[in-house]
Amino acid sequence: MSSNGERGRRAELCGSDEHPHPRPHHKQQSRPEANAIAIPTAENDQFAYALSSNEAWAGYKNHQNPTFFPKLAAGQSPSILWLGCSDSRVPETTLLGLQPGDVFVHRNIANVISPTDINSSAVIEYAVAHLKVSHIVLCGHTCCGGAAAALGDSRVGGVLDTWLTPLKAIRRDHAEELAAIKDAGDRAIRLAELNVEKGVQNLLANYVVEEHIRTRNIKVHGVVYDIASGKIRDLRVGNASVMPGAGKEMAAPSKMEVLQGNHGVLIFKEGGSAMTVG
Amino acid sequence: MLLRSLTAQTPSRIPLLRPFSTGSGWRTCKNFLSDSPARRPRLYPVGTARHCSSDSDMATKHLDDSHERIFENNRKWVEAMKAEDPEFFVKLGSGQSPEYLYIGCSDSRVPANQIMGLGPGEVFTTRNIANLVPNTDLSVMSVINYAVRHLKVKHIVVCGHYGCGGVKSAMISADLGLLNPWLRNIRDVYRLHEDELDSIPEPQRYDRLVELNVIEQCRNVIKTAAVQQSYEKEGFPVVHGWVFDLNDGLLKDLKVDFEKMLKGIKKLYNLSAAPPTAEEPSASEPLAKRQREE
Repeated sequence: MSSNGERGRRAELCGSDEHPHPRPHHKQQSRPEANAIAIPTAENDQFAYALSSNEAWAGYKNHQNPTFFPKLAAGQSPSILWLGCSDSRVPETTLLGLQPGDVFVHRNIANVISPTDINSSAVIEYAVAHLKVSHIVLCGHTCCGGAAAALGDSRVGGVLDTWLTPLKAIRRDHAEELAAIKDAGDRAIRLAELNVEKGVQNLLANYVVEEHIRTRNIKVHGVVYDIASGKIRDLRVGNASVMPGAGKEMAAPSKMEVLQGNHGVLIFKEGGSAMTVG
Repeated sequence: MLLRSLTAQTPSRIPLLRPFSTGSGWRTCKNFLSDSPARRPRLYPVGTARHCSSDSDMATKHLDDSHERIFENNRKWVEAMKAEDPEFFVKLGSGQSPEYLYIGCSDSRVPANQIMGLGPGEVFTTRNIANLVPNTDLSVMSVINYAVRHLKVKHIVVCGHYGCGGVKSAMISADLGLLNPWLRNIRDVYRLHEDELDSIPEPQRYDRLVELNVIEQCRNVIKTAAVQQSYEKEGFPVVHGWVFDLNDGLLKDLKVDFEKMLKGIKKLYNLSAAPPTAEEPSASEPLAKRQREE
């Protein structure tokens, strides 16, 4: 989405010194000579770093709790299905303060939930019907490149324009409201919110989700994650704020929603704020 | 390398995951080991929390117990990051430039960032049932396209895991409805390696199928125009195949020979020529012309 204004300019910073995160001493790979093996082997390489990171993490987890991995291997029973954006700044277990085994995850560009997308549909079916999750959290976020691209007028290229068509459609449906927002960043946030709202509607209309709301009262949540502050905002667009079967708002004193992972808790509070506990 | 990771990181790498979770950020190992348990946010033991009389009781209890400590941790983390780099959050809010694209399974036990020990901003991620890369799936094709062409990632990792429910489900002789078309990709992997797999006894056969599935999905990644063109021009990304072992938490590198695989694939799937520009004749014309000449 490099052709789209501010976001594009940011994307082009890739590989420059202006990186938001410090990295392991990364040596830029140069174009390989003919027949040269390009697989990085240097010990200061990113790839080697990730693998050794894993070794350290596994060793630490095992040291902390020797039954941790054997238990994991026995099976999963996550209570949350997380549908989020592929964006590297929104790692779900980190920002939810949850552990391996807690949350079943699907992430795609701009957290688009289209009724006919076989990829997300298969994930939803598997999580809801087979793993029997209790909560579905659809999470959009601020500074979303997909939203910014959909607000631009140039072609992104490749298959991306097709993928982002649902966002373009939302933009058209809400053209007046979006045009009235002066700040480009705020406009992208509003589009991200509308996209979550639309995705939640599609989830509620999904046959399997509908059936399991009826039989098990599963909850669908729509939230937006603010990258610059780390906070999750509940858009209250799902069925979570509605009493089971009653079709009306919950009584004021208990306007609080708790998502219980096996190791941590996510709490939705009145006023749209939320917090994470590790 | 490992030693450096554990103890001697550049200070700026240490606190990334710190405020969010007690157990997720191995990178804070040093801090964990020196932390007294009292300083960490307390976890409710599995089971007890679920037996609270109501969600709101539990929430109140939880808020009372942990609220202040968490926000205190968060505040400290913000201060620490800002002390090192006053612009840290401005930059985090202004864009991402991850080095990795991670294509993994949706399975809750395989969280990408944690198993790789990487923080927010470092891994662009897509996760689906059984880490598949079907060539007609616009979701994963869009992810690859964006990661390679726009974010210019250096590494693409396809990561499977032993004990994958998707892989097992795919080999069941049953109609799984909506899951059929998705899981069929795995049956196709089996068919490609039928002789080898048939000769392996269960349950090892499934482990090998998990590995072969990862390798085939690496092939699918390399078949994309984005990867071929970027590699020819820039020398990256390089594609890797990994398998995560739930029994010990370790990643196994399948040592996919990227160069060799790419060369093999290009024989039939070469898309490395740039797309025709507007001035040039349509894409089908040269092909039609060539066919006439033949």
